[in-house]
Amino acid sequence: MEAREAPGPAKRADADLDALLTLVARGDQGAFEALYERLARPAYGLIRKVLRDPAQSEEVVQEVLLEVWRTASRFDPARGGAATWVLTIAHRRAVDRVRSEAAAAGREQRTSRVPAAGDAVADSVEATLDAELLRRCLAGLSDVQRESITLAYYGGYTYPEVAKLLEVALGTIKSRIRDGLNRLRDCLGVS
Amino acid sequence: MRLPRRDLHSLAGPYALDALDAGERDRFERHLERCPRCQDEVRRMSQTATALAMAAAAEPPAGVKERVLAAVAVTPQLPPVTTRDRPRVRLGAAPRAARRYPRLVTAIAAVAVAAAAVLGGLLAVTQHQLDSAQAHNQEIATVLAAPDARIASAPVTGGGTATVVVSHAENKLIFTSAGLPELAPTQVYELWLLGPGSARPAGLLPEPVAGKTAPVLASGFTAEDKMGMTVEPSGGTSSPTTTPILVMPLPQ
Repeated sequence: MEAREAPGPAKRADADLDALLTLVARGDQGAFEALYERLARPAYGLIRKVLRDPAQSEEVVQEVLLEVWRTASRFDPARGGAATWVLTIAHRRAVDRVRSEAAAAGREQRTSRVPAAGDAVADSVEATLDAELLRRCLAGLSDVQRESITLAYYGGYTYPEVAKLLEVALGTIKSRIRDGLNRLRDCLGVS
Repeated sequence: MRLPRRDLHSLAGPYALDALDAGERDRFERHLERCPRCQDEVRRMSQTATALAMAAAAEPPAGVKERVLAAVAVTPQLPPVTTRDRPRVRLGAAPRAARRYPRLVTAIAAVAVAAAAVLGGLLAVTQHQLDSAQAHNQEIATVLAAPDARIASAPVTGGGTATVVVSHAENKLIFTSAGLPELAPTQVYELWLLGPGSARPAGLLPEPVAGKTAPVLASGFTAEDKMGMTVEPSGGTSSPTTTPILVMPLPQ
């Protein structure tokens, strides 16, 4: 298994990733390749989760990784670690893509993207410890907390859309997302 | 829907999950700039979201790594934002940066075309660049957009990397480099097409920008030719006068 960035006692690995990204910002292609080895799989898996379509996911992950190279000098460790920075870019790009497609195709098609039950966690062959731990922590949330978080993050829905899908008030969704993320954080031991 | 300011705090969770629409996202980001408590909250929640991403890890398709690394080799990076430059409002950043780094921006535009074609996924960028770039860039884009375009990189003796993109159908190639040692003002890097017993001049490398040279276009080669590079007196020569620091086969 690859080094684990989060969750878990991964502060050391996080610090290494930050150092790698700092080297990347100075034009070090070797450091970029090392960063690729660590983060391309989570980035691709996440994008694939949101977009579903393999060809589009391949395009988007390439764009994202090139953007990481181009904009590495803008990475600010104070705002979160390198993994968070890269995966935030990946998620943002995937969500932007899925929303512009949905806007073009009409909203009805989007209902097909509701993640199936039990689909919230990686289905890759490597049933990693991360995935197993996350599965257990997600199971400890209330239904609305869990579904709000997975619909928003893996489904790419805005919180008003999530509220509509779950037939829950807007304010409730916001607080369920916050409470759910806080509980997840405690359960996962994210530093 | 516009939330009163005090309610903006409640958007930290949806923001960390990218669950705001574009308008609300912009509004929250402006608020975030001056709300340390929100910054803390967003950082913690984003780290938790990172755990959700890590758990979804899956192997990218074959070829992604090679294409990304090839694109990286020809793509310049943004300069760091210094504290003095850091805009108070995000939207102010682009025009200021463009004024301060006109040459670099031009180089990025030129090479972005190269990178875009390497990555089929950036076709929109290619189109945009085609719309605004000069004829030189369009010719380069033609090579890169050729269905048979192939890319190869090789180390240069003494330091640096050379990257060649070839379309045999168009009989055109593009040469870029990164990290070559700086030359004396009286010297220049010259490119050659090396055939059996012949060396034809294929252009001089421009001054590097941020360590990279803008694409040089060459044509009139055969599949068996090799790409060569030597250090020559300024202005170049008609045949190599020094030992080549690069001899690489053209990608087929």
